[in-house]
Amino acid sequence: MMVENTKGTEDVLMEIRNVDKAFGGVKAVDNVSMDLRAGIITTLVGPNGAGKTTLFNLITGELSKDSGSIKWLGQPINRIKPFQAARAGILRTFQDLRLFSEMSVEENVLTSIEAGSLPLPQTGNQRAARQERVEYALSRTGLADKRKTRAKDLAYAERKFLSMARVMATEARLWLLDEPASGLDPHSYEKFLEILREEVKQGVTVCIIEHNLDIVIGISDRIAFLDRGRLLADDEPQTVLNDPALRAIYFGERA
Amino acid sequence: MEAYLLNLVILISIYSILASTLNFIMGYAGIYSLAHAVFFGVGAYAGTYAAMHVNASIFISLPVAMVAGAVLSLILALPALRVRGEYFVAASLGLQVLAVTIFSEWKSVTGGIGGLVGIPPVNVAGLDIFKPGQFVFLTLAALVIVLIIINRLVHSSFGRSLRAIRDSESAAAAFGKNVPLIKTISVVISAALAAVAGVMYASYLSFINVESFKLDTSVLIMAMVIIGGTGTQAGPIVGAALLLLLPSLISYLDFLPQTEIGAIQQIIYGLGMALLMIYRPGGIIGRKKHSSAGKE
Repeated sequence: MMVENTKGTEDVLMEIRNVDKAFGGVKAVDNVSMDLRAGIITTLVGPNGAGKTTLFNLITGELSKDSGSIKWLGQPINRIKPFQAARAGILRTFQDLRLFSEMSVEENVLTSIEAGSLPLPQTGNQRAARQERVEYALSRTGLADKRKTRAKDLAYAERKFLSMARVMATEARLWLLDEPASGLDPHSYEKFLEILREEVKQGVTVCIIEHNLDIVIGISDRIAFLDRGRLLADDEPQTVLNDPALRAIYFGERA
Repeated sequence: MEAYLLNLVILISIYSILASTLNFIMGYAGIYSLAHAVFFGVGAYAGTYAAMHVNASIFISLPVAMVAGAVLSLILALPALRVRGEYFVAASLGLQVLAVTIFSEWKSVTGGIGGLVGIPPVNVAGLDIFKPGQFVFLTLAALVIVLIIINRLVHSSFGRSLRAIRDSESAAAAFGKNVPLIKTISVVISAALAAVAGVMYASYLSFINVESFKLDTSVLIMAMVIIGGTGTQAGPIVGAALLLLLPSLISYLDFLPQTEIGAIQQIIYGLGMALLMIYRPGGIIGRKKHSSAGKE
């Protein structure tokens, strides 16, 4: 279900309206409304604890909202469970990767595109199509030589790429990436950016949480700025990055 | 001597079925059950009931036992698998305790504490099988079939889903896996196959009572899996053989005071288990070093 290159048309894929989530007395996500537009990269920035990962968890149903609504392709998905979100075409990665650590690289990718629950045999066509997706993801991420290696035995950067490969092999329309480039060496993150740009060109829509400003500037079509659960800005990259108030929050937090 | 060896091989085959089916959920799905002896027992009682009241054909008793095991496992799996792992262990322990009471009290089906005697020999296509020399082939065949089924499952997309859930439940769900459903199916398959061991056991001994299906049996089966190697195919069989052979081996050691043999056996078990877990936490067949680095 690949979308044609929709860059420029920017249809709204996901509509987030007045979403709230509190943990105890702390508002982790505070009345957030935003749109995720098709075929572009929206970057979520903001200090630690701003609610970025919580927003991902609310979208995929890992956490339930206190109030507000989310629509996906025009349909409400307010009570969706994580596995249903995935089947609906919304996939996410985790900051702590959560690879299937005892399984091989190839199995990690293969199992990510096998969503059926019943122990039924696959047809030859299914198997071939899946293998093709696996090969694609492995070769794009440079993991083809490591296919038999257990995930836990990979080097750090390889583990990050495996986390990406699992998503790349699927046919999801929306990728929610939680700090996929953090801790990568310059060479690896160049490769990462290239992969991401290429995938977006192919029609994937991306929402990415990222701290590294070089990467933020390098890839964002749009930037959403969160602080203490509130959405302070959702605009063109230059507008957000040049806003002195936002710069103060962002760099103030880091100093 | 030959009869003695045949008896050992038959029992090892039956316990290998139990250990392998427990390993299927423990080693591949990360579901720890202390109720495996319940499904062993349900298989034995249900198979016996069918053999005594309907027909002694294995084509009757075996399906009846498997369905009974599967249905009962749903009672455990449906509520317990919606919550996290530790609760399943507790729930399975509860089922084990409850089942022992039922096995002891439901006299019309289980014969109560006294159990059931005079269980007819299993009938395969018109042939009564009761001589150990024949029965050994039946249990070995059952073991091989169970192993093939498990092997096929483990290497299918279903098996990958199980292992993915074991390694990271949240990531498995994030990639579209209906975690509670997949876990439930795995428990049902495991219970149905464990019931096969029950049918073999009952018709081999032609006598069963609750003593064989208590918590100690569940713990023994779990020990077989852990000692042999969790998550490996050969491990549970090695574990079953070792734990069933050990008592006989110890009794051959003449220099041990024969009156204290029971206590010595316990000491050797305990010591062996502790040493194994320190030096080979993956079990005898398992990987040498089970590094925890990178576990997510």
